[in-house]
Amino acid sequence: MAGKFNSNRRLAIAEFGGKDVDLCMNCGTCTTICPLSEDSGGGFPRRVIRLIQTGRESKLMESLDPWLCYYCGDCTTNCPRRANPAETMMAARRYLTARYDWTGLAGLFYKSALAEIVAILAVGLFVTLLFVSLHGPVVLQRVELNTFAPVHWVEFGDWIMAAVLSFFLLTNALRMAWWVLGGKKMLRISPLLYLRQVPVFFEHLFTQKRWRKCGSEPGGVRWLKHLLLVSGYLSMLTLVLILLRWFQTDKIYPFYYPQRLWGYYATLAILYPTADFMISRGRKKEPIHLFSAASDWIFLVMLFLTALTGIMVNIFRVNGLPVATYVIYVIHLSIAVPMLVVEVPFGKWSHIMYRPLAIYLAGVKRAAAPAAGKSTGQAAAAVAA
Amino acid sequence: MDTSPEKISDSSDSGKLRVGVYICRCGGNISDVVNTEHVAGICRRIPGVAVSKVHTFLCSDPGQQTISDDIRRENLDRVVVASCSPFLHELTFRGAVQRGKMNQYLYEHVNIREQCSWAHKHDPHGATAKAIALISAAVGKVSRSVPLEKIRLPNHRRALVVGGGPAGMKAAADLAACGIPVLLLERSDRLGGKLHTLNRLFPTADAAVELAHKLASQVMSHPLVEILLKSQVVKVSGFIGNFEVAIRGDFGPSGRTTDVRTTVGVMVMATGYRPYVPADGEFMYRRHPAVVTTVDFNDLLTRRDCGEGTLMFDGRPIRSIAFIHCVGSRQVDGVHTPGPDGRLHAYGSRVCCTTVLHQALQVRRRFPGTRVYDLHQDIRTYGRGHEEYYTDAARAGVVFFRYHSAEPPRVTGTNGAKSPLRVSVKDYLSWGEEMNMEVDMVVLAVGMTPGPCETIVEQLKLPRGEDGFLQEIHPKLRPVEISVNGVLLAGTAQAPMNIQETLAAAGAAAVKARAMLSKEQVELNPYVAEVDTRLCEGSGACLAQCDYAGALTMTQTRRDGHAVRMALVNPGLCVGCGACVAVCPTRAINLNGWRLDQYDAMVDGLVRDIAPSAVN
Repeated sequence: MAGKFNSNRRLAIAEFGGKDVDLCMNCGTCTTICPLSEDSGGGFPRRVIRLIQTGRESKLMESLDPWLCYYCGDCTTNCPRRANPAETMMAARRYLTARYDWTGLAGLFYKSALAEIVAILAVGLFVTLLFVSLHGPVVLQRVELNTFAPVHWVEFGDWIMAAVLSFFLLTNALRMAWWVLGGKKMLRISPLLYLRQVPVFFEHLFTQKRWRKCGSEPGGVRWLKHLLLVSGYLSMLTLVLILLRWFQTDKIYPFYYPQRLWGYYATLAILYPTADFMISRGRKKEPIHLFSAASDWIFLVMLFLTALTGIMVNIFRVNGLPVATYVIYVIHLSIAVPMLVVEVPFGKWSHIMYRPLAIYLAGVKRAAAPAAGKSTGQAAAAVAA
Repeated sequence: MDTSPEKISDSSDSGKLRVGVYICRCGGNISDVVNTEHVAGICRRIPGVAVSKVHTFLCSDPGQQTISDDIRRENLDRVVVASCSPFLHELTFRGAVQRGKMNQYLYEHVNIREQCSWAHKHDPHGATAKAIALISAAVGKVSRSVPLEKIRLPNHRRALVVGGGPAGMKAAADLAACGIPVLLLERSDRLGGKLHTLNRLFPTADAAVELAHKLASQVMSHPLVEILLKSQVVKVSGFIGNFEVAIRGDFGPSGRTTDVRTTVGVMVMATGYRPYVPADGEFMYRRHPAVVTTVDFNDLLTRRDCGEGTLMFDGRPIRSIAFIHCVGSRQVDGVHTPGPDGRLHAYGSRVCCTTVLHQALQVRRRFPGTRVYDLHQDIRTYGRGHEEYYTDAARAGVVFFRYHSAEPPRVTGTNGAKSPLRVSVKDYLSWGEEMNMEVDMVVLAVGMTPGPCETIVEQLKLPRGEDGFLQEIHPKLRPVEISVNGVLLAGTAQAPMNIQETLAAAGAAAVKARAMLSKEQVELNPYVAEVDTRLCEGSGACLAQCDYAGALTMTQTRRDGHAVRMALVNPGLCVGCGACVAVCPTRAINLNGWRLDQYDAMVDGLVRDIAPSAVN
């Protein structure tokens, strides 16, 4: 159990928003109050705060705790030192996201909003220029989107992007697993164990069911809104990546046709929660909305604008406005692409991967070491149970 | 009863006595259980009782008036009140008796509330019978009371303040301001005491030296304060108003060490504290030069050569410091070994936590490159403005660790590693994980131990608490008085205190001393031992039992033409404990107000057969 106290380094958590860690006197009120603490093996969320205070980076890298917190903010509300534990957990997630990412871009974007905005603008400009120079014939008599932007070319671009982003995301996820499972030790775990836990990953990816236990808000309204957002997001991803040939057509189907209905559902499922979240962050009433980093805002705004421009393409197309359709289509992609490129592997979006992965890894860890030590082992056991 | 002194034999003749017995209902507190009317009726049958009355509230003005009036009207010469605890109203009824022009020591108080109605509320008959018995005993005792007078002794209106630190200077200045001449004694060659070892004071950040100068100028400029430096008390005896003190010091034109004798009315003990000195090897103290106490470290921070930007010690830069709290404090039997003084320091010194945080904060602010670790059991920043030091230190990046008293941190050498010392601690903020840190310096937070005052303590038999500090009579009701009347406590001679508390205590001691010196004569309770010169055979048994130096002495005198050895009481020094009374083979020594024949009468009274079995 002997741990070398890392006297030479204090974790630079403040750059990620954890500005009040030093105020914590380790009273443990946050742990007592947290509804998720008990089935996270105890010590949650104080353990993360203590690891940060004592500069024990490797222990923090190994920890899954930050991903098990859904930020209800009860701890921050009740903290007698106003040390803001909930925001510290958020900062820890940002910190870990930055550390998992081997390109260093995630860290750069979290520390500098300017860098993130510049990156988004650059990618957006690149997409715009791509369309300006390579678009197909512009038909003005009627809306012919597939002439202006042939679906197979767009699909090709989609797949290239998906491949590149998956590469970054998966390598980062692999790094996370490497640290969590103890480096080379992960190679000694039977592949069967990894396979057996796969359903857990998808279960939590699609439901976020642990969240329902989080917080004192009645009925888990926030969880429901978030679930709606995820469903809209995943719908859109499916329509764009897998079903684009079916989704992007010049033929106008009746309103009730699944192609349109599904699209409208996805749009609403993104627009409503993002608008709601933005309003809440603006109002700053609940603890979770008190502290909004630039990364939080950029994520929400980009997502909202993507859905908004997407539905406008549909409206212009259905109403037979060719130029407006082409223009808004270019704008739509100039927003959607940078959002995906910047946010998916390097930004806040990545939590859609890391959260279920954390629960998955907890399960693997528990299965691999049934009699493991107190801290993470127990947490793993409890979480996966 | 043949041993009772002749002078009271007349009054002890119950036939001629007129005792008034007053029974209080206490608004039902007593009468709801004790049948007070019945008690009054029975008490009339006790020989000598002339009046027996019941009143709803005897302590009220009409109640007291009844007593004063009855003394005159009924020609009473003894009074017994049966009511609540004497702690509450004995003095009240003594006053009523005095207003009736009767000697106040011819009064007896019986507690039939706490001892009867409250204690036996489920047994009214028993409570009533007990009340009768207690009153009967009191009547017996009071029948043999004699008029007493308070002991009056000359009062030397001059104060001796022992110790020239902040407490002593403050007490001296306050006393002088009331017009009391003060003799201020200091063993070192300058006033100021521990203020000279401190730097900036929390929580106000005043310079300690400035405070010392301010206080010193107050006493030095006052014509009523006589200051004796490099001097100390070598002999002291006497009692309130009359302390004989021998002082040894370098005074007079010769500058040689000489003794002077003087008499003072009160003594203020401002003898201060000594910082705890860790034992050799305790946390590597004295084994490694970079292990120092908070006292040493404070000294280092005041030195000019401690560095600019980087803290320097012993020619080496100090880039990391571990502060260890509670060194020589809050020690636990079985874990710690007693120090050189043979004591286990179980107490905490109150100021050390804030001292550490204060120093840690100074380091972080003056030398931002130096990392600071704080190893504590608890952080007890109890005073106003103290907690801010904890918050500020936390904000300034001090890292805190918590250890349990049974598992204190361990300090070892690193043998040539980059930093010379390693501190290991089982950190209970990290779920008991063992934490190791390599540091350039270890600072041990030491508490306070009692200051030097052995001579006076031994000669005046001043009581010490378990912790070795001088013990007050009552921590709340009489916080600056000690059981030796006329001796007062100021500051850390009594207990660990910060400077605010020290000066407040010194001010309180000064006021109390001033009150003691306000009268021409010292008035003492008459409850002291008295020797019957006809009976004393000079066995000396009493002397062997007496704990109070000078209270009893043996003298040679003449009786009936023969030279005899006899005990003599000094009423100024006798505290009336009664130890001498118990051992006298001839019952020659007695306590005034509590004589043996009065006890005999009480016993007779308790078993007096006056209460018929029919108690309704």
